Amino acid sequence: MYTGKGGVGKTSIACATAVFLAENGKRVLLVSTDPASNLDEVLQTRLGMRPTLVEKVKGLYAMNVDPEEAARQYRERVVGPYRDLLPESAVKNIEEQLSGACTLEIAAFDEFAKLLGDAHATSDFDHVIFDTAPTGHTLRLLQLPAAWSGFIDSNVGGTSCLGPLAGLQAQRELYEKTMASLSDATTTTIFLVSRPEHSALAEAERTRNELDAIGLKNQKLILNGIFQACATNDSIAIALERRGCEALADMPNGLEGLPRIEVPLVAQSLIGVGALRRLGEGRLDEAKAALQTQAEMNLPPSLAALIPDLIARGKGVIMTMGKGGVGKTTVAAALAMELARSGHRVHLTTTDPAAHVHLALREDIPGLRVSRIDPIAETRAYTAEVMSESGRDLDAKGRALLEEDLRSPCTEEIAVFRAFARCVDEGNQGFVVIDTAPTGHTLLLLDAAEAYHRDVARNLSYIPDSVRRLLPQLRDPNFTRIIIVTLPEATPVHEAARLQDDLNRAAITPYAWVINQSFYATGTRDPLLAKRGALELRYIAEVRDKLARRLALVPWQAESPVGAEGLQQLLEETVTK
Amino acid sequence: MITIQVFDPAMCCSTGVCGPSVDPALPRFAADLEWLKSKNVKVERFNLAQEVGAFTSNPIVKVTLNAQGTKCLPLILAEGMIVSQGTYPTREVLAAAAAVSYEPGPTIKRVKEQSPELVSISGPTKVNL
Repeated sequence: MYTGKGGVGKTSIACATAVFLAENGKRVLLVSTDPASNLDEVLQTRLGMRPTLVEKVKGLYAMNVDPEEAARQYRERVVGPYRDLLPESAVKNIEEQLSGACTLEIAAFDEFAKLLGDAHATSDFDHVIFDTAPTGHTLRLLQLPAAWSGFIDSNVGGTSCLGPLAGLQAQRELYEKTMASLSDATTTTIFLVSRPEHSALAEAERTRNELDAIGLKNQKLILNGIFQACATNDSIAIALERRGCEALADMPNGLEGLPRIEVPLVAQSLIGVGALRRLGEGRLDEAKAALQTQAEMNLPPSLAALIPDLIARGKGVIMTMGKGGVGKTTVAAALAMELARSGHRVHLTTTDPAAHVHLALREDIPGLRVSRIDPIAETRAYTAEVMSESGRDLDAKGRALLEEDLRSPCTEEIAVFRAFARCVDEGNQGFVVIDTAPTGHTLLLLDAAEAYHRDVARNLSYIPDSVRRLLPQLRDPNFTRIIIVTLPEATPVHEAARLQDDLNRAAITPYAWVINQSFYATGTRDPLLAKRGALELRYIAEVRDKLARRLALVPWQAESPVGAEGLQQLLEETVTK
Repeated sequence: MITIQVFDPAMCCSTGVCGPSVDPALPRFAADLEWLKSKNVKVERFNLAQEVGAFTSNPIVKVTLNAQGTKCLPLILAEGMIVSQGTYPTREVLAAAAAVSYEPGPTIKRVKEQSPELVSISGPTKVNL
């Protein structure tokens, strides 16, 4: 099972491992539980929710656990048999209730448990490899069995809220087996995947701790993208090598103690079985590759070019979205800092459970307030609010019942959602810059917005104004400016394009795209990095010509972009080549 | 023993805490049902989103639901006869339907000092202060 911050290469490494094992005679099942899975693209095979044979690799099967599809199947199992027996309004009522964020989460987990907790489901395979979702989401997924086992144990009434998964009691045995096989070191190995970078290593350490605490102790560390400069006269290559060494020297103690596997930085995109095979066998011989000559390209402007138009309205919401690890936090912090410096009141906040906004902005900047939507604190506050308002005059039994329901896994989702709505609403007074959670979780949040929107229409009198206004505000291009952040590589660009499609379906139009960490824009002459840079051009052109209404390009930074000075670098004009 | 059956609209849970905000009638009603149970009344509660079969297998519920749609929910039956529909009845109504003597419990009232729209819950006025 692989876990790690988004963009560290979990999918590539999981796929290379799967290909390697299969070609050495093992029967392998590769599973993605990422709502934004790109296994299909990497393996160049069309996959579904059942194991599908991967083209060109004997013995390798792969599948996607798609939460949307799992939820749809779950809904159909509930409603299907009664469709002809009930009036239209009742069927609609059920379907709406079962289309919220919790149903997605639970339905996806149910699929996950079926594979992990039921030995028969995987008995045909020697190895089952989980290419798990980005960290914040993974943790929620992995923590559910413990939380729910505890929840069922303490649920005295037996009739109250188990979320939309009514059959949870019946699933108990399955979930307990899932938990047991996760914590059995002879069955499950957790690979923490990280880049040799401070933030990715810090994230891996957090994950190590959290998994360790729920009993998943058989962990190994994979360091992906180890780089050594070829020549000593290229400042970018030297800086990249130095930053990698520094990050590894500062490695958290917990990670230091784990068995470690190192994978070198490569200069080609890891799409297709051929590339995966070579990665698995250590045959990617990139450094000696000839530097390609590329047609000159007029590079898109820097991040600073977005500022004047963003400032013009004087207030509103700016939201950075994209896959984990692409630099959403850094871009959000740089924009927030610049808006504050131009004399505006700015609130920079995040809904990402694994955020490091505080690390990005080390010092106080006048006019800039930094905060974080902390799911645990929000849940506590929401529980207290409900208990004091709705529970105030209930008798002891009624309060116990209400308290019990509030322990349900849905409560956190609602609490976080309300906090998010509150932040967005602040855009009426000044600038709010929101560094959103990784794609999968963000989508759940927006899906929740849609479900709430319907609920709000039904049940107007009890709704906070901020929640009532949320979706209209997210859809108003003058109020909310969504900035999609990506990297100039195949997978990140295609994932971001899917995100944009999803937003469009929700009637939300992204304002601009930012392509971050471009080696091409640094002008490096290091053979490996220059080749990586040259590979970027087609993706930069694809975003510019087909995807973005406005586009900014941010070069890879020789100095880690933290603190006011580091962030300032992000706004500087791009080196022209 | 008298049986009270509650047929709820599709919802996440019996106290409604999973909605965007809590409808105060729901925890109050859940508490009233607990009170009935303590009076030796048999209480059965069915959620449309979770136990659809209970709605279609009960002839009275099936006919009412098909005739009126979901606006008849919540539908409350005592010994198989309709006690109330489209609203959560008060503890007094429940007590009468279950043939137990009424004891005042939490009731809903308007709280003026907050928002004029806000419905809140308040217990019986204490007289022996």
